[in-house]
Amino acid sequence: MSARNAEAWRTLPNVPPTHVVSGEVYTDHGIFVAEKERIFGRCWHLACHESELPNTYDFRTFDYVGTPLIAVRGRDGIIRTFINVCSHRGAKIIHEPAGNAERLTCFYHLWSYDDRGACVDMPRPEAYHGVGLTKEDCGLREVRTEAFLGLVFINMDDDAPDLTGYLDGALDSFAPVLGSGELEVFHYNQSILHANWKAWQETNLDLYHEWMHVLLRRTQMKAASMESRVVKALKNGHTAAGGLKASYEMYKGMAKRDTDMALPGLVPDDFFFADIWPNVAILARGTAIRIDVVIPIDEQTMLVEWRGLGRKGDTAEQRRLRMRHHNQYWGPFGRNVPEDAFASEACEAGFRGGAAAYQILAREENGAGQDDGMMRAWYAEWSRRTGRSAAQPTAAVAAE
Amino acid sequence: MNVASGQLSREQAIRETVYRSCMALDAEDFSAFLDLCAPDLEYTVTAFSPEIRKEMIWLEQDLEGMRALLEMVPQHLKRLGTLKRHVSVYLIDDGNDGIAKVTSSFIVTHTDPQGRSQLFVAGTYCDEVDCRGERFLLRKRNAHLETRDLGIGSHIPI
Repeated sequence: MSARNAEAWRTLPNVPPTHVVSGEVYTDHGIFVAEKERIFGRCWHLACHESELPNTYDFRTFDYVGTPLIAVRGRDGIIRTFINVCSHRGAKIIHEPAGNAERLTCFYHLWSYDDRGACVDMPRPEAYHGVGLTKEDCGLREVRTEAFLGLVFINMDDDAPDLTGYLDGALDSFAPVLGSGELEVFHYNQSILHANWKAWQETNLDLYHEWMHVLLRRTQMKAASMESRVVKALKNGHTAAGGLKASYEMYKGMAKRDTDMALPGLVPDDFFFADIWPNVAILARGTAIRIDVVIPIDEQTMLVEWRGLGRKGDTAEQRRLRMRHHNQYWGPFGRNVPEDAFASEACEAGFRGGAAAYQILAREENGAGQDDGMMRAWYAEWSRRTGRSAAQPTAAVAAE
Repeated sequence: MNVASGQLSREQAIRETVYRSCMALDAEDFSAFLDLCAPDLEYTVTAFSPEIRKEMIWLEQDLEGMRALLEMVPQHLKRLGTLKRHVSVYLIDDGNDGIAKVTSSFIVTHTDPQGRSQLFVAGTYCDEVDCRGERFLLRKRNAHLETRDLGIGSHIPI
């Protein structure tokens, strides 16, 4: 075979339509608008870990697809989330990423809200009496919030099914460690990446790409057989992979990880992960857990949040070692994640102007090895949610 | 080229040790960088996260760890282009024990292969320079970052 001409280049390969994704899913503005409404407006989204709000009145602020939100741990210990804008003039109320405040007070006219989102103070309220406006009319907009295994999820859709039903067992493999109550976040950073948001999720679903990482070629690919891997497509688009191992000492400068550093329920050299549709990945490497959350900004830009979780009771020495374990692979100076980010931006460069027409998700290894089944499952859910075929997404759109 | 304490004023030699360590990393001349480091090197890159209200250590290496890490860099898929460290030494506390504590401000720019430059990271170096031997050596560095969004990150220490 030789190189292809323009027509051949744009013709979909002769594989099932479930095994190919058009480049339009990354670039079409109408698709992005539909994703914001049908996916991010309706699906559960991981906002933070409970350990980020350990005390009464602790808050965390974050932006979710353009909406400023604030999560607050109330007097009753329950974490609630509100849209972080004042009912008065619409100004963003709290600007710090985290803190502790009994009252959320807008800087502009000093309207104040309590931990339940009720408006509890407005200076000189009598001027509103004539038109019948009271504090009771001016509470914050609350956003549905549910916690599961220490993970705090929000949903912008008041009518969405509950979180447990949505997850439907997708985090079962993580229950012993996440449910231990012994974890806290010790690492957090975020980056703007210049690529469509789906490209990040794909790097976490694409086992075949481990060839890109010299670190994984040395520590992972030969540590256990390809046949021992188990790649699962679960309900609601969630996926999971297990049966992977790591021989850390095979990479120069790294050492075998000891059992006494293992997190509850984990084995030091095991590696497994779960992807919660649409935008969360949770990865366990025995002594540290990484959680990725990707949030779209526009068709060509995303925000990725990375968290690292370890044991609450670590000594200072243990914590340093755990940070090292986490960051050797996953930190901003790690040997692994920067390469994934490079790949995401390289794919964006290929699709942005239409140079690349599609991508191929056609590896079939009976749910083992480097099977593309997780990516196909992800796009099957994407198609169900958006009403579009991933292979031909700008053709007819199915009604909801 | 290394700094010999006899050739320069002591303070100038301390500054040059800091500057040359950055120039070597800029040039990705890792053997020159390692040659400037003391055997008991401690190199950390840290940042404070206001989101989780914790100090974080993003990189921590001793001399052998740094040697291994840098040796592997050419085998990795890494950010294209070059990094350039602009360093201003603010304070030198030249202690009686022969260890000088040096505080510097730095910014690092990234220049892509097309020649476009942008700010990559800003922060502060807290260094210790060992002045006891014939050559002054970098004994300790903490690169504390103000910038926490590092885009696609870096395989090379800051």
